[in-house]
Amino acid sequence: MYYYVKSLQYPINIRRRNPMLAKNIISQYGGPDGELGASLRYLSQRFGMPDQKSKAILNDIGTEEYVH
Amino acid sequence: MNNCSCQNNRSRNELLQEIMAYNFAVNDLALYLDTHPSDSKAICLHNEYSQKANKLTNEYQKLYGPLTINFASENWNWIDEPWPWERGAY
Repeated sequence: MYYYVKSLQYPINIRRRNPMLAKNIISQYGGPDGELGASLRYLSQRFGMPDQKSKAILNDIGTEEYVH
Repeated sequence: MNNCSCQNNRSRNELLQEIMAYNFAVNDLALYLDTHPSDSKAICLHNEYSQKANKLTNEYQKLYGPLTINFASENWNWIDEPWPWERGAY
C-alpha cells in the first residue's frame, strides 16, 4: 500500500542546464537496466523470499527504486 | 509582492527542507535496519528522526496544507498547485 507524499525526496537546484547529462540520467529510468524495471523485479521477487529479512529488503528497496 | 508573502515562502521552504532531510535519514536508516534489525543505535536514531519528522510535518500541514491525502482539513487543498515537480526546488 503506498501513499504519495507531496514533496521531493531530495531538493533540486539546477544552476546550468545540460541536455547530455539529462539524457544520460533519463536513460537510468527506462530500459532493461532502468530503475523502473528493477523496482518491478524486486517487488515481484519479494513474494518468493524464504525469510523476513529478504522480504523486507526487497520490499523496501523496490519501493525506493519506484520512488526514483 | 509585499514582504509578508516573501517571508512566508522562505519559512515554508525551510520547514519543508527540514522535513525532507529527516525523512531521507529515516528512509536510509530503515533500509539499513532491514539487514541489521538488532542495531540498537540505529533504531534509536531512527526513532528520534522519525518523531522529529512527524512533529515538523504536523506543523507544516497546519500552516501550508497537506503533504499526504490523509490530512484532514475543511478544504480539499490537496489539489492546490504547485506540485513538487513544478515548485522549483522542493
